[in-house]
Amino acid sequence: MTEPEEWELIGLAREGDSRAFEALVTRYYETMYAIAYKWTRNAADAEDVTQNACIRFARGIGSLNNPALFRTWLYRLVLNAVRDFQRQVGRIHLHEAAEETAPQQPGTDASPESALYAKEILAEVYALPEKERDAVLLVFGGDLSHGEAAQVLRVAESTVSWRIHSARKRLVKKMEGKNSRRPCHGWPRPENRA
Amino acid sequence: MDGRDLKTVLENVKTPPPGENARKRAVNLALAEFERTQREKEKNFKGSGIASRLTGMTAQKRRDPMKKKYVYGGLATAMVVVLAATVSFQQLLENPKGGFTAELTKVDLSVAGTPADENVSASYRLRMAEADVTRVEEALRTGQSALPTPMPQKEMAANTAGRSATEMPQNFVATAPSVVMDDTVLQPGYQDIGRDQFENFEENPVKVVREEPVSTFSVDVDTASYAFVRRQINNGVLPQKDAVRIEEMINYFDYDYPLPETKEEPFKPTVTVVPSPWAEGRKLVHIGIKGYDIAPDEKPKSNLVFLLDVSGSMNAPDKLPLLKNSFKLLLETLGPDDTVAIVTYAGNAGTVLEPTKASEKAKIMSALENLNAGGATAGAEGIRQAYGLAKSSFDKDAVNRVILATDGDFNVGITNREELKDFVERERMSGIFLSVLGFGQGNLNDHMMQTLAQNGNGVAAYIDTLSEARKVLVEEASSTLFPIAKDVKIQVEFNPATVAEYRLIGYETRALNREDFNNDAVDAGDIGAGHTVTAIYEITPVGGPRTMDETRYAQAEEHKADTDFGDEYGFLKIRYKNPDSDTSKLITTPIPAKEFSPQRNERSATQWRNTTWSTAVAGFGQILKGGKYTGDFSYDDVIELAQSAKGDDPFGYRAEFINLVRLAKSAAAMEKNAP
Repeated sequence: MTEPEEWELIGLAREGDSRAFEALVTRYYETMYAIAYKWTRNAADAEDVTQNACIRFARGIGSLNNPALFRTWLYRLVLNAVRDFQRQVGRIHLHEAAEETAPQQPGTDASPESALYAKEILAEVYALPEKERDAVLLVFGGDLSHGEAAQVLRVAESTVSWRIHSARKRLVKKMEGKNSRRPCHGWPRPENRA
Repeated sequence: MDGRDLKTVLENVKTPPPGENARKRAVNLALAEFERTQREKEKNFKGSGIASRLTGMTAQKRRDPMKKKYVYGGLATAMVVVLAATVSFQQLLENPKGGFTAELTKVDLSVAGTPADENVSASYRLRMAEADVTRVEEALRTGQSALPTPMPQKEMAANTAGRSATEMPQNFVATAPSVVMDDTVLQPGYQDIGRDQFENFEENPVKVVREEPVSTFSVDVDTASYAFVRRQINNGVLPQKDAVRIEEMINYFDYDYPLPETKEEPFKPTVTVVPSPWAEGRKLVHIGIKGYDIAPDEKPKSNLVFLLDVSGSMNAPDKLPLLKNSFKLLLETLGPDDTVAIVTYAGNAGTVLEPTKASEKAKIMSALENLNAGGATAGAEGIRQAYGLAKSSFDKDAVNRVILATDGDFNVGITNREELKDFVERERMSGIFLSVLGFGQGNLNDHMMQTLAQNGNGVAAYIDTLSEARKVLVEEASSTLFPIAKDVKIQVEFNPATVAEYRLIGYETRALNREDFNNDAVDAGDIGAGHTVTAIYEITPVGGPRTMDETRYAQAEEHKADTDFGDEYGFLKIRYKNPDSDTSKLITTPIPAKEFSPQRNERSATQWRNTTWSTAVAGFGQILKGGKYTGDFSYDDVIELAQSAKGDDPFGYRAEFINLVRLAKSAAAMEKNAP
């Protein structure tokens, strides 16, 4: 049994084939959910967002004129669902979400040490201004090129590049700030020595 | 931070698998919406040629299979669930390999040092990772559930605990990328830590100078506490408070204190006064001592008897095999004329190797290799035989030493601690010293180790890795084996005119009475060649933030003029005996009431580094003990101080320490979050 190609399914679904559509949405549910999770950092929220994204999927597939843009289209779909959701909820509870989920997956990577470092960086990424955060999540979290990210966000490619640059600068500053606070209570400074 | 860093971090964010119901609901809702849209299109475009043709076709296609939709839906969903599980779990497995493990391995390797170690640990870890992948692939092929089935909590705890005691090599717990293991290991509480026995003690309290101006203690060059603490933290658990002996943590590290000019004086104290980093207005008085080192050709001969515990509980990779490897390392450092003997104790004590010259390496090696663990422990019998052998090859110009290696209890024979202590003490008088090496965890009798080593004029060290074995037995071989001074006592008299209160950090288990200082009959700690000893007092200068109010009548007394020594915080006295002497000598130096200000020269830089590093370690130890006196001084502050004073760190011990503080920070955070 050979799986039908993505573009075949898209074509059929655009023509109104509900089985093709079902196959398509089932196949990409996981992808959409993963994107939603990246932005919401909470499984329940991600499920809600993905559900809405699936409905948008149904409404929008007819207007996807260029199947080559499917991937970025899917991202935009989910991101719009994320924004709607966050507007509904009324607040972005990203930080709490990150805190909530962290202890459930302690250091699966390697050590608590690297997990902690990762957690610190993550916290800073989610604390970025929204536009920069979206660019970072798309490019580094989603493995999109600057051009693709630009399509998702409907901005110029150079704008994405600029946001990435600015976000990185901010992160470096934040992380350095964490590592180089002055010792407290007037500890003699190393600068004074040879 | 570069893009790669960010990418790794973001890619390693694990997405928990979505709920199956949520997925079904979403797909079905989408399908309904899809069909609604199609119907609407149909309605809107009726009449238009193309549209009607298209929609007509789809409507036809759609209606018939409509009833079967949910069947399809269910099937498709079920298939995807399996697929999704495969994908996400594989991601889980791949990530640790590609992501943080690489970084971690790097850190570990830098600690490990010799190429042999690197190979062992790196390849071992790789094998473990591969084994895990294979196991999961196997499960996938045979169609078993690919998701980690949650093991019942009890069973899992039993498994892990059992393994840590039997077959699990050191480091495995902390670093092997096994999903199930890591999850459980980081949950504190179930580990077999309760049976390690530590002497209970409270942190030294703050003393009022006017009431108790003199502080006396014995030096302590043991490092066992640090190694034990490290092992606990590496397992994701904060150590028991009694396991933390701050002075042993500080003294684990080597400091470049200035050496005495002549051998006549075995060491020279360096006193540094700095502001306390955890309490505004207080100061630290930092006392550093380094013993002179013996040049290799001046080393006296060694007459060593290894007393090895081969009881059943030693049958674990981090015990007997590690012990064998450790002793092989030690053998390498011995001269050809040094003698070695091996006595084991397990049920029946037995002499495995009669005193043999170190040049007959093959004979010693094969005796070592033939050791097997099994039987009950009868430490006392073993000790008698060991001392017997040491006596039979006694050489008054040599260092005669019994080296006891054990994982804990002395189950049979003299189990009375006092009796055993007396035995060791008597033998010490006859010139045979005792060192104790602790192995393993869960059964370790730290208190006994300390007692025996202290009474045997030796060191107690805890060996958890081969790298630790190398540190204790090779790098510090001369200090472990060759004492340059014995019964070293420190006494500080504070000046009530300048100091209101003081507190000695650590050395709780080494406190001496004031009158013991001048009593040469009172035993105290020993210093080996090249050993460093550091002691830190926190003082509150007069007028500073005191913890206790001045008593009414003391206030009245304050006006008495004792200004002669206004530029001194106190007076430091060190008493010691030469290794073969019974009369003590005295070294004294005043403690200036002047803060250290780093100058632009190498000596000053070294002094700054020594002080800063040991203060960082002292801060860490105090936090681990509950942070009673350190206020809001945090793990981050420790890291910050330590980072700035890391220096050359050729063996990576300091980098390892900083890593340890980070681990402790996350272990503390997790304990806080735990219910």
